[in-house]
Amino acid sequence: MGDFFFGLTEWLRTTFLLDWAFWIETTGFNKVLVTNFWGVPIAQVLHIIGIGAAFAATLMLTLRISNMAGMSRSVPEVSARYMPWIWWGLLWIIASGMLMLWAEPVRNMINGVFWVKMILLLVTVFITLAFQKSVRSAATVGGAGWNAGGGTKMTAWLIVILWCLIMAHGRWIAYAPV
Amino acid sequence: MASYYPEPTNIWESIEYSSLGTSIAESLWAFPTLETIHVIALVTVFGTILVMDLRLLGLAGNKWTVLQMSKDTLPWTWAGFVLAAITGTLLFTSKASTYMVNPYFLWKMGLLALAGLNMAYFHFVTYKTVTEWDSSPVMPGGAKFAATASLVLWLGVVFCGRAIGFTLGIYY
Repeated sequence: MGDFFFGLTEWLRTTFLLDWAFWIETTGFNKVLVTNFWGVPIAQVLHIIGIGAAFAATLMLTLRISNMAGMSRSVPEVSARYMPWIWWGLLWIIASGMLMLWAEPVRNMINGVFWVKMILLLVTVFITLAFQKSVRSAATVGGAGWNAGGGTKMTAWLIVILWCLIMAHGRWIAYAPV
Repeated sequence: MASYYPEPTNIWESIEYSSLGTSIAESLWAFPTLETIHVIALVTVFGTILVMDLRLLGLAGNKWTVLQMSKDTLPWTWAGFVLAAITGTLLFTSKASTYMVNPYFLWKMGLLALAGLNMAYFHFVTYKTVTEWDSSPVMPGGAKFAATASLVLWLGVVFCGRAIGFTLGIYY
Protein backbone atom coordinates (compact mmCIF):
# COMPACT_ATOMS: atom_id res chain seq x y z
CA MET A 1 0.00 0.00 0.00
CA GLY A 2 2.95 2.29 0.70
CA ASP A 3 4.06 1.78 -2.93
CA PHE A 4 0.61 2.73 -4.20
CA PHE A 5 0.57 5.98 -2.23
CA PHE A 6 4.19 6.72 -3.14
CA GLY A 7 3.39 6.24 -6.86
CA LEU A 8 0.27 8.39 -6.56
CA THR A 9 2.24 11.18 -4.91
CA GLU A 10 4.97 10.95 -7.59
CA TRP A 11 2.27 11.33 -10.26
CA LEU A 12 0.63 14.27 -8.41
CA ARG A 13 4.00 16.03 -8.55
CA THR A 14 3.74 16.05 -12.39
CA THR A 15 0.28 17.66 -12.47
CA PHE A 16 -0.89 21.29 -12.37
CA LEU A 17 -1.50 20.78 -8.62
CA LEU A 18 2.15 21.49 -7.91
CA ASP A 19 2.01 24.95 -9.51
CA TRP A 20 -1.29 25.52 -7.77
CA ALA A 21 0.20 24.59 -4.41
CA PHE A 22 3.18 26.91 -5.01
CA TRP A 23 0.78 29.72 -5.94
CA ILE A 24 -1.14 29.24 -2.66
CA GLU A 25 2.18 29.59 -0.83
CA THR A 26 2.60 33.07 -2.34
CA THR A 27 -0.75 34.34 -1.04
CA GLY A 28 -1.04 36.69 1.92
CA PHE A 29 -3.44 34.39 3.75
CA ASN A 30 -0.92 31.55 3.61
CA LYS A 31 1.65 33.90 5.20
CA VAL A 32 -0.80 34.77 7.98
CA LEU A 33 -1.37 31.08 8.74
CA VAL A 34 2.26 29.95 8.62
CA THR A 35 3.80 32.89 10.43
CA ASN A 36 1.44 32.44 13.38
CA PHE A 37 2.64 29.51 15.46
CA TRP A 38 -0.92 28.64 16.51
CA GLY A 39 -2.49 29.01 13.04
CA VAL A 40 -2.32 25.35 11.99
CA PRO A 41 -2.95 23.82 15.45
CA ILE A 42 -6.08 25.96 15.92
CA ALA A 43 -7.34 25.03 12.43
CA GLN A 44 -6.80 21.37 13.39
CA VAL A 45 -8.68 21.81 16.69
CA LEU A 46 -11.61 23.38 14.76
CA HIS A 47 -11.44 20.45 12.31
CA ILE A 48 -11.51 17.89 15.15
CA ILE A 49 -14.48 19.44 16.99
CA GLY A 50 -16.42 19.60 13.70
CA ILE A 51 -15.66 15.92 13.10
CA GLY A 52 -16.78 15.18 16.67
CA ALA A 53 -20.12 16.95 16.13
CA ALA A 54 -20.84 15.39 12.72
CA PHE A 55 -19.51 11.91 13.55
CA ALA A 56 -21.46 11.66 16.82
CA ALA A 57 -24.62 12.83 15.00
CA THR A 58 -24.05 10.13 12.35
CA LEU A 59 -23.45 7.55 15.08
CA MET A 60 -26.60 8.46 17.05
CA LEU A 61 -28.73 8.28 13.90
CA THR A 62 -27.17 4.91 13.00
CA LEU A 63 -27.82 3.59 16.51
CA ARG A 64 -31.49 4.63 16.27
CA ILE A 65 -31.89 2.96 12.86
CA SER A 66 -30.25 -0.17 14.32
CA ASN A 67 -32.64 -0.03 17.33
CA MET A 68 -29.64 0.30 19.66
CA ALA A 69 -30.30 3.78 21.13
CA GLY A 70 -32.78 6.65 20.99
CA MET A 71 -35.74 4.26 21.04
CA SER A 72 -37.84 6.78 23.01
CA ARG A 73 -38.18 8.82 19.79
CA SER A 74 -39.25 7.97 16.24
CA VAL A 75 -36.74 7.80 13.36
CA PRO A 76 -38.03 11.09 11.82
CA GLU A 77 -37.61 12.83 15.22
CA VAL A 78 -34.08 11.46 15.61
CA SER A 79 -33.28 12.47 12.01
CA ALA A 80 -34.58 15.99 12.66
CA ARG A 81 -32.29 16.26 15.70
CA TYR A 82 -29.10 14.96 14.08
CA MET A 83 -29.24 15.61 10.31
CA PRO A 84 -28.61 19.37 10.51
CA TRP A 85 -25.59 18.60 12.72
CA ILE A 86 -24.23 16.19 10.11
CA TRP A 87 -24.50 18.72 7.25
CA TRP A 88 -23.56 21.91 9.13
CA GLY A 89 -20.80 19.89 10.77
CA LEU A 90 -19.56 18.83 7.36
CA LEU A 91 -19.51 22.47 6.18
CA TRP A 92 -17.52 23.38 9.31
CA ILE A 93 -15.12 20.48 8.60
CA ILE A 94 -14.61 21.63 5.00
CA ALA A 95 -14.05 25.26 6.08
CA SER A 96 -11.48 24.31 8.73
CA GLY A 97 -9.95 21.81 6.28
CA MET A 98 -9.52 24.66 3.77
CA LEU A 99 -7.57 26.59 6.42
CA MET A 100 -5.24 23.60 6.84
CA LEU A 101 -4.94 23.19 3.07
CA TRP A 102 -4.13 26.87 2.62
CA ALA A 103 -1.48 26.75 5.34
CA GLU A 104 0.25 23.63 3.96
CA PRO A 105 -0.72 23.26 0.28
CA VAL A 106 2.20 21.05 -0.83
CA ARG A 107 1.92 18.72 2.16
CA ASN A 108 -1.77 18.16 1.34
CA MET A 109 -2.25 18.48 -2.40
CA ILE A 110 0.91 16.62 -3.42
CA ASN A 111 -0.07 13.72 -1.19
CA GLY A 112 -1.81 10.53 -2.34
CA VAL A 113 -3.37 9.93 1.08
CA PHE A 114 -5.06 13.36 0.95
CA TRP A 115 -6.71 12.62 -2.42
CA VAL A 116 -7.86 9.14 -1.37
CA LYS A 117 -9.38 10.89 1.66
CA MET A 118 -11.17 13.37 -0.64
CA ILE A 119 -12.54 10.53 -2.81
CA LEU A 120 -13.74 8.67 0.31
CA LEU A 121 -15.39 11.90 1.52
CA LEU A 122 -17.23 12.38 -1.79
CA VAL A 123 -18.38 8.74 -1.80
CA THR A 124 -19.59 9.14 1.81
CA VAL A 125 -21.50 12.33 0.98
CA PHE A 126 -23.29 10.69 -1.98
CA ILE A 127 -24.14 7.52 -0.02
CA THR A 128 -25.36 9.65 2.93
CA LEU A 129 -27.57 11.81 0.66
CA ALA A 130 -29.18 8.77 -0.98
CA PHE A 131 -29.46 6.99 2.37
CA GLN A 132 -31.11 9.90 4.18
CA LYS A 133 -33.56 10.42 1.32
CA SER A 134 -34.63 6.76 1.29
CA VAL A 135 -34.85 6.49 5.11
CA ARG A 136 -36.90 9.69 5.33
CA SER A 137 -39.47 8.52 2.81
CA ALA A 138 -39.66 4.97 4.23
CA ALA A 139 -39.94 6.23 7.81
CA THR A 140 -42.65 8.75 6.88
CA VAL A 141 -44.70 6.05 5.14
CA GLY A 142 -44.01 3.50 7.89
CA GLY A 143 -45.08 5.81 10.75
CA ALA A 144 -43.75 5.89 14.32
CA GLY A 145 -43.32 2.12 14.54
CA TRP A 146 -41.18 1.88 11.37
CA ASN A 147 -38.32 -0.58 11.56
CA ALA A 148 -35.38 -0.41 9.17
CA GLY A 149 -34.60 -3.48 7.08
CA GLY A 150 -31.25 -5.28 7.11
CA GLY A 151 -29.91 -3.41 4.08
CA THR A 152 -30.73 -0.02 5.60
CA LYS A 153 -29.00 -0.93 8.86
CA MET A 154 -25.92 -2.16 6.97
CA THR A 155 -25.78 1.05 4.91
CA ALA A 156 -25.99 3.12 8.11
CA TRP A 157 -23.00 1.25 9.57
CA LEU A 158 -21.14 1.46 6.24
CA ILE A 159 -21.37 5.26 6.55
CA VAL A 160 -19.92 5.09 10.08
CA ILE A 161 -17.06 2.91 8.78
CA LEU A 162 -16.45 5.32 5.90
CA TRP A 163 -16.17 8.19 8.42
CA CYS A 164 -13.57 6.16 10.36
CA LEU A 165 -11.64 5.50 7.13
CA ILE A 166 -11.72 9.24 6.30
CA MET A 167 -10.38 10.05 9.79
CA ALA A 168 -7.67 7.39 9.40
CA HIS A 169 -6.55 8.92 6.09
CA GLY A 170 -6.66 12.37 7.69
CA ARG A 171 -4.20 11.24 10.35
CA TRP A 172 -1.95 9.44 7.85
CA ILE A 173 -1.57 12.56 5.65
CA ALA A 174 1.09 13.56 8.18
CA TYR A 175 3.00 10.30 7.70
CA ALA A 176 2.78 9.93 3.90
CA PRO A 177 5.98 10.08 1.88
CA VAL A 178 5.71 13.51 0.22
CA MET B 1 19.34 -8.58 22.47
CA ALA B 2 21.68 -5.69 23.11
CA SER B 3 19.96 -2.52 24.19
CA TYR B 4 20.88 0.70 22.43
CA TYR B 5 19.17 2.76 25.10
CA PRO B 6 20.93 4.36 28.08
CA GLU B 7 20.25 3.26 31.65
CA PRO B 8 17.02 4.94 32.79
CA THR B 9 17.51 7.57 35.48
CA ASN B 10 13.85 8.01 36.42
CA ILE B 11 10.48 6.27 36.12
CA TRP B 12 9.55 8.05 32.85
CA GLU B 13 12.77 6.91 31.17
CA SER B 14 12.13 3.39 32.51
CA ILE B 15 8.75 3.45 30.76
CA GLU B 16 10.19 4.94 27.57
CA TYR B 17 13.08 2.45 27.38
CA SER B 18 10.87 -0.55 28.23
CA SER B 19 10.38 -3.11 25.47
CA LEU B 20 6.81 -1.80 24.96
CA GLY B 21 7.92 1.83 24.72
CA THR B 22 10.83 1.16 22.37
CA SER B 23 8.76 -1.20 20.18
CA ILE B 24 6.18 1.54 19.58
CA ALA B 25 8.85 4.21 19.07
CA GLU B 26 10.87 2.08 16.62
CA SER B 27 7.93 0.79 14.60
CA LEU B 28 7.07 2.64 11.38
CA TRP B 29 3.35 2.03 11.74
CA ALA B 30 2.59 1.59 15.46
CA PHE B 31 2.56 5.28 16.49
CA PRO B 32 0.42 6.53 13.56
CA THR B 33 -1.94 3.56 13.94
CA LEU B 34 -2.39 4.20 17.67
CA GLU B 35 -2.88 7.91 16.92
CA THR B 36 -5.57 7.05 14.35
CA ILE B 37 -7.50 4.95 16.89
CA HIS B 38 -6.94 7.71 19.48
CA VAL B 39 -8.50 10.28 17.10
CA ILE B 40 -11.54 8.11 16.29
CA ALA B 41 -12.03 7.43 20.02
CA LEU B 42 -11.66 11.07 21.07
CA VAL B 43 -14.07 12.46 18.47
CA THR B 44 -16.59 9.86 19.74
CA VAL B 45 -16.01 11.09 23.31
CA PHE B 46 -16.21 14.78 22.37
CA GLY B 47 -19.16 14.34 19.98
CA THR B 48 -21.34 12.32 22.37
CA ILE B 49 -20.51 14.70 25.24
CA LEU B 50 -21.54 17.58 22.97
CA VAL B 51 -24.91 15.89 22.33
CA MET B 52 -25.49 15.47 26.09
CA ASP B 53 -24.25 18.97 27.01
CA LEU B 54 -26.46 20.61 24.38
CA ARG B 55 -29.44 18.83 25.95
CA LEU B 56 -28.40 20.00 29.44
CA LEU B 57 -28.13 23.55 28.10
CA GLY B 58 -31.59 23.20 26.52
CA LEU B 59 -30.13 24.02 23.10
CA ALA B 60 -30.78 20.77 21.19
CA GLY B 61 -32.63 17.48 21.64
CA ASN B 62 -35.18 18.93 24.08
CA LYS B 63 -37.70 16.28 22.99
CA TRP B 64 -35.55 13.77 24.87
CA THR B 65 -35.68 13.57 28.64
CA VAL B 66 -32.28 14.08 30.24
CA LEU B 67 -32.31 10.47 31.49
CA GLN B 68 -33.05 9.13 28.01
CA MET B 69 -30.33 11.24 26.40
CA SER B 70 -27.86 10.12 29.03
CA LYS B 71 -28.80 6.47 28.45
CA ASP B 72 -28.33 6.92 24.68
CA THR B 73 -24.97 8.68 24.77
CA LEU B 74 -23.13 7.63 27.93
CA PRO B 75 -22.19 4.03 26.90
CA TRP B 76 -20.52 5.45 23.76
CA THR B 77 -18.80 8.23 25.68
CA TRP B 78 -17.33 5.62 28.04
CA ALA B 79 -16.42 3.19 25.25
CA GLY B 80 -14.64 6.01 23.40
CA PHE B 81 -12.94 7.18 26.58
CA VAL B 82 -11.60 3.72 27.46
CA LEU B 83 -10.25 3.30 23.91
CA ALA B 84 -8.71 6.80 23.98
CA ALA B 85 -7.13 6.10 27.39
CA ILE B 86 -5.62 2.79 26.25
CA THR B 87 -4.23 4.19 22.99
CA GLY B 88 -3.14 7.38 24.77
CA THR B 89 -1.23 5.36 27.38
CA LEU B 90 0.51 3.37 24.63
CA LEU B 91 1.43 6.60 22.79
CA PHE B 92 2.73 7.96 26.10
CA THR B 93 5.02 4.97 26.73
CA SER B 94 6.90 5.63 23.48
CA LYS B 95 7.99 9.15 24.54
CA ALA B 96 7.21 9.24 28.27
CA SER B 97 10.03 11.54 29.38
CA THR B 98 9.43 13.97 26.49
CA TYR B 99 5.73 14.21 27.36
CA MET B 100 6.40 14.67 31.06
CA VAL B 101 8.33 17.92 30.43
CA ASN B 102 5.79 19.23 27.92
CA PRO B 103 3.51 21.81 29.57
CA TYR B 104 0.64 21.09 27.16
CA PHE B 105 0.71 17.42 28.09
CA LEU B 106 0.61 18.33 31.79
CA TRP B 107 -2.21 20.83 31.15
CA LYS B 108 -4.08 18.18 29.20
CA MET B 109 -3.84 15.75 32.12
CA GLY B 110 -4.96 18.50 34.53
CA LEU B 111 -7.94 19.44 32.33
CA LEU B 112 -8.90 15.75 32.03
CA ALA B 113 -8.86 15.49 35.82
CA LEU B 114 -11.04 18.64 36.10
CA ALA B 115 -13.45 17.24 33.48
CA GLY B 116 -13.67 14.08 35.59
CA LEU B 117 -14.32 16.07 38.78
CA ASN B 118 -16.98 18.16 37.00
CA MET B 119 -18.67 14.96 35.81
CA ALA B 120 -18.47 13.37 39.28
CA TYR B 121 -19.95 16.47 40.98
CA PHE B 122 -22.75 16.61 38.39
CA HIS B 123 -23.48 12.91 38.76
CA PHE B 124 -23.40 12.70 42.55
CA VAL B 125 -24.87 16.10 43.47
CA THR B 126 -26.80 17.87 40.67
CA TYR B 127 -28.16 14.66 39.13
CA LYS B 128 -29.77 13.56 42.43
CA THR B 129 -32.82 15.73 41.67
CA VAL B 130 -32.93 14.81 37.94
CA THR B 131 -36.46 13.38 38.16
CA GLU B 132 -37.71 16.90 39.01
CA TRP B 133 -36.27 18.52 35.83
CA ASP B 134 -35.82 15.46 33.63
CA SER B 135 -38.27 16.44 30.88
CA SER B 136 -38.11 20.22 31.30
CA PRO B 137 -36.65 22.24 28.42
CA VAL B 138 -35.34 24.67 31.07
CA MET B 139 -32.51 23.16 33.06
CA PRO B 140 -31.42 24.11 36.60
CA GLY B 141 -28.34 26.30 36.95
CA GLY B 142 -26.22 23.42 38.21
CA ALA B 143 -26.88 21.37 35.08
CA LYS B 144 -26.13 24.34 32.81
CA PHE B 145 -22.93 25.05 34.67
CA ALA B 146 -21.82 21.40 34.42
CA ALA B 147 -22.53 21.34 30.66
CA THR B 148 -20.69 24.62 30.02
CA ALA B 149 -17.71 23.58 32.14
CA SER B 150 -17.65 20.21 30.39
CA LEU B 151 -17.55 21.78 26.90
CA VAL B 152 -14.86 24.30 27.89
CA LEU B 153 -12.72 21.62 29.57
CA TRP B 154 -12.99 19.13 26.70
CA LEU B 155 -12.19 21.86 24.17
CA GLY B 156 -9.12 22.56 26.28
CA VAL B 157 -8.21 18.87 26.27
CA VAL B 158 -8.45 18.73 22.45
CA PHE B 159 -6.43 21.96 22.11
CA CYS B 160 -3.67 20.73 24.43
CA GLY B 161 -3.64 17.35 22.69
CA ARG B 162 -2.97 19.06 19.36
CA ALA B 163 -0.52 21.52 20.92
CA ILE B 164 1.60 18.60 22.22
CA GLY B 165 2.22 17.48 18.62
CA PHE B 166 3.51 20.95 17.69
CA THR B 167 5.72 21.50 20.74
CA LEU B 168 7.50 18.14 21.19
CA GLY B 169 11.22 18.74 21.28
CA ILE B 170 10.88 22.38 22.37
CA TYR B 171 11.01 21.66 26.08
CA TYR B 172 13.65 18.96 26.36
